[in-house]
Amino acid sequence: MKKSAIFGLVVIAVAIAVIISVYSSSSTYATFAEAQVAGTELHVIGHLNKKKELVYDATKDANYFSFYMNDNKGEERKVIINSTKPEDFERSEQLVVTGQMVGNEFHASKILMKCPSKYTQDKLDVTEVKAKQASI
Amino acid sequence: MNTVFQGEHLLPGQIGQFFIVLSFGAALLSFLSYYFATTDDAGKLNSSWQRLGRIGFIVNSIGILGMGICLFYILYNHYFEYHYAWSYTSRSLPVYYLVSGFWNGQEGGFLLFAFWQAVLGNLLIVKAKSWERPVMTIVALSQVILATMVLGIDILGTRIGSSPFLLLRNSGIEAPIFARPDYLSFIKDGQGMNPSLQNYWMIIHPPTLFLGFASLVVPFAYAVAGLWQKRYKEWVQPAISYTLFGAMILGTGVIMGSFWAYESLNFGGFWAWDPVENGSIFPWLTIVAALHVLIVFKNSGHSYFTATFLVLISFVLVWYTSFLSRSGILGESSVHAFTDLGMFWQLVIGILIFLFITIGILIWRWKELPITKKDEETYSREFWMFVGSVFLALSCFHLIVVTSVPVWNAMFGTKIAPPADAVKHYNVIQSAFAFVVTILTGFTQFLKYKKTDITRFFITTGVYFLFAILITALIVAVTGVYKLNVVFVLVMCGSVYSVVANAKVLVDAFKGKFKLAGAAVAHLGFGFLLIGAVIAAGTSKVVSKNESGELAVQGFDEKAGNVKENIMIYKNVPVKMGDYTVTYLGDSISTPEHFYKVDYKRLDANGKVLENFVLKPKVQASREAGFASSPDTKHYLTSDLYTHITAVPSQGFNMQGGEAAHDEGNDDKNYDEPVPHEVVVGDTIRYRDGFMILKSINKQATVQNIKVGPNDIAIGANIEVHANNTIYNAEPVFMIKDGNAFDFSRKVDDAGLKLRFSRINPENKKIEITVFQQPKNKKPWIVMRAITFPYINFFWSGTIIMVIGFLLSIQRRNKELKTV
Repeated sequence: MKKSAIFGLVVIAVAIAVIISVYSSSSTYATFAEAQVAGTELHVIGHLNKKKELVYDATKDANYFSFYMNDNKGEERKVIINSTKPEDFERSEQLVVTGQMVGNEFHASKILMKCPSKYTQDKLDVTEVKAKQASI
Repeated sequence: MNTVFQGEHLLPGQIGQFFIVLSFGAALLSFLSYYFATTDDAGKLNSSWQRLGRIGFIVNSIGILGMGICLFYILYNHYFEYHYAWSYTSRSLPVYYLVSGFWNGQEGGFLLFAFWQAVLGNLLIVKAKSWERPVMTIVALSQVILATMVLGIDILGTRIGSSPFLLLRNSGIEAPIFARPDYLSFIKDGQGMNPSLQNYWMIIHPPTLFLGFASLVVPFAYAVAGLWQKRYKEWVQPAISYTLFGAMILGTGVIMGSFWAYESLNFGGFWAWDPVENGSIFPWLTIVAALHVLIVFKNSGHSYFTATFLVLISFVLVWYTSFLSRSGILGESSVHAFTDLGMFWQLVIGILIFLFITIGILIWRWKELPITKKDEETYSREFWMFVGSVFLALSCFHLIVVTSVPVWNAMFGTKIAPPADAVKHYNVIQSAFAFVVTILTGFTQFLKYKKTDITRFFITTGVYFLFAILITALIVAVTGVYKLNVVFVLVMCGSVYSVVANAKVLVDAFKGKFKLAGAAVAHLGFGFLLIGAVIAAGTSKVVSKNESGELAVQGFDEKAGNVKENIMIYKNVPVKMGDYTVTYLGDSISTPEHFYKVDYKRLDANGKVLENFVLKPKVQASREAGFASSPDTKHYLTSDLYTHITAVPSQGFNMQGGEAAHDEGNDDKNYDEPVPHEVVVGDTIRYRDGFMILKSINKQATVQNIKVGPNDIAIGANIEVHANNTIYNAEPVFMIKDGNAFDFSRKVDDAGLKLRFSRINPENKKIEITVFQQPKNKKPWIVMRAITFPYINFFWSGTIIMVIGFLLSIQRRNKELKTV
């Protein structure tokens, strides 16, 4: 066999190994119910329940933040993360939390939040505009 | 519907839009003319098609410049009737940030890309000689496609591209005020710029990165031209210089981005494997691989197909990267908040055009490609350079597979999530590739092109390898890298080996073979860069762990991520943190930046201060924007100490923009229940955080703005407050004026105290001091996170050395060009 053919096989082998390793370490997007069964690290997509309490009190514990989140099926769980409360968290539109269920609580190691940031979303602040109108 | 709107400045937008259409038309003309110049006028010296192509391209360049000037004019004059100006800037922005506002939006990014491509195109018109016609056909085609991205014109009901000159009222925002002719008088200011972009790195990082992206069109165009014109071998030589240039600029742009992240973003480091970051290195990895294989081909005639393919695919990847970051597809996996401008399919078409050219031309010319049938020598430099390049390409392949997870989901309807611990996943696998690549950049230096004396090779390689292992062992032991996954130790070993091997070549170069210096310096830089990255990222330590007073959260184990990395400190209360004692001294505002002064002291065993400095991490706030934290870093030669604010009391933050009015009478509610103490001079009053002594009574006390009449009395109580290991003085005043008693309290903000001289008791000659103490949670505090990055200077200096290496190589290749 030619050396280039051997090398070609090596390349193909590495490429397959890469795909397998990616496949094995990638997780799935799940719901809380699925996370409860799985017991491993998962991503859950959902929304912040804005009616329930967000707990962050730096004077008590600077590394404890909890909130309630509804997953895409509407199921609600308490989520806890050992970190500070991300700024503008209340305004988040969508959350992707990574972590696992412990009892009935979801212990997150990472939170990715999508904010309707004024830099990315076009939204005229109409209330402000109205206030100005009134002042004329 | 014929409302006449008042106060709009439509002219600059109309001129700008005209320039867009002009540049599009001119690019199209240039493309077609160059195409016919290549085909119909082939061999003709005086081609009118060629002339037309040049004119078209120059008009296109003028159009792009015109667009830029119009856009800047609009931004500079704050014409918020334009969506772009309204979205990305505000009146309060300094002019130098208006420059970064220019490429804040995606349209500006495309404009920048087109601008650099125009510059390179004009350079090629002057320099490319016989290559001009086919090469410029491709460059002009790329300009056509880029121009459609900013066209913003409706064709058959679909909008093509997104124009930076879109008016706010036409931008699709629904608001009743747009029905009013004087709507503009209500839009006083733009939305401002994302605070994290208000940084000097954002002024120079995007232009550099886009020059890097744009410059990859040149080798691409040469490769296509070479195959198209059947000048299979000739294109390689001129393409090498441009490939070197592209690799150098793109690499610099990427590292600048990482420096920006390190200096001003708060994600705690210089690289986070974010999809957008990964996207920027896809084309870099392939173009560096392409570069090596081009050199292999030039020297030995082997690996023609690989070289051509890598050159071609690099530019396709530039487009793929654009697609990833601009189509909104990364929505669920990236923190970079780029939005979809409704150009998803347009971007896909952009990629497909270049992908089809790549595949099409290779198939078309497949049988004629100068592919050697002969096997390569195992002990030749070119064979191992080739292997290294393939591994670079494989590492790129891995990055693409993982980063594109959302793309696979969109294509196949799957629901795969990226790896839960993405950073670890990337670190381990990419390190494995880096190990192979660095080992190869090391030992290929001992090989010769074509054939090498095997025994000698094994001896020198072995000696240097042994030496490298010894140094690695030393570094690994000192820095603590050995505690990490073994793959990081391997990368370290590979990098050290690469450094020593290339240092040897460099020494030889100074002895005479100077033309080899470029590659050696670049490899040396790359080795240093990796050494720095492994140590800094691998052994970075969170310092901000307060060991005392921790509350254990039930059921939380270490696995759940960054556990207890934030520390809360009250103002003026020193806290022990690792080797340091930190004190939050206070804050200061210089709009829009809010600085928090944190004092660091390092003490020896006897309490002597070894080191003392103040860091000022800042929080940037623009109107309504809230919070964007930027770190401050103490740079040492061997490490960095990085500190950033992760939380502040919300009431403290709202105060900016005009201190909350001090309402003397009403602020008692901010304090705990007052405690009166009857004292005489010399008495001590104890309170929760310390004590105070009544030093003396001042019978000539004065109060600002109040005149003390002959029958009035004003008495001050000189009180010495001992708190936070500091002594503060305060003098509350008791006054009787015109028969009425008043008292003037004094605050000691740093100690969270308010003192009132509330009464004089003539019977026992005592006076009454009322102590108001702030409840603990009302005292100012900050939550911060501090990290050390050891030896990160290797990373930065490695980059600079690598760039110098590229410059030397470009110089060498250009010299070769002239002699050929």
